[in-house]
Amino acid sequence: METTALSKRSIAFGLAAAVACVVNAGIVVVKEKSDAVMAGMKKITGHHWTTHSFIIIALFLGLGLLLGVVRGGRGIEMTARRLIHILVSAVAVSAATIIGFYLFGD
Amino acid sequence: MIEALLMAHVLFGVACLLAALWVFVDVLHASAGNLVRIRAVSWLGAASMWIAFFVGGYWYVTFYKADKAIILQGPWHFAHNMVMETKEHVVIMLLLLATFLPIAAMDNLATSNDARRLVLWVAAMVAVLALAMDGEGGIIAMGVKVGLLSK
Repeated sequence: METTALSKRSIAFGLAAAVACVVNAGIVVVKEKSDAVMAGMKKITGHHWTTHSFIIIALFLGLGLLLGVVRGGRGIEMTARRLIHILVSAVAVSAATIIGFYLFGD
Repeated sequence: MIEALLMAHVLFGVACLLAALWVFVDVLHASAGNLVRIRAVSWLGAASMWIAFFVGGYWYVTFYKADKAIILQGPWHFAHNMVMETKEHVVIMLLLLATFLPIAAMDNLATSNDARRLVLWVAAMVAVLALAMDGEGGIIAMGVKVGLLSK
């Protein structure tokens, strides 16, 4: 029998991936435009990229786990179409932001 | 040793790309008979991506400075200023998507059209981004070569 619902785990980590992608692009712009932020990120782990990666991976895993247990453990409800829209848009906008920034903004 | 690290980075990156393509094709024909294989290949792709990420990240943080200097002395400045800068940040999104792929593949793809559609999209994005990273790696290597030849 054909079913339509996604698991709460897929929705939670799909949304977490979307948010982490957007934050990833945001950090790129902020650290490249602010010497203080760049210096701070270098100071934390010795390299800005290591700190950047750690923040994004921790955000993805943390948010994914959190969104899976909200609403008394029921997680977030969402249609597959909406989740795919959010995830694909986040990846496309974030990639375009990063590419556009290094092409024109830096 | 440095060359072995770079080759391992490319090898595991390509393995992730192939795994994503495999998952995409297998999910188009998802049934109870191939669910275990789809999930196994999804996990394999994610594991390959994590290895490629750690190996490439270690090389980038430890050894890339010398290559960067060669690139910036040569005529292909964009190989660092544009391509490497883009690659080092877009690859983080690839890592997230490759990690999400086996999570999404844990849903019952044999019975859920929505779950199949989600996995198809994620596998496609992993494949496209992995291919882009592979191409960018080639441009960066060429930037070093052109830099050395121009000396």
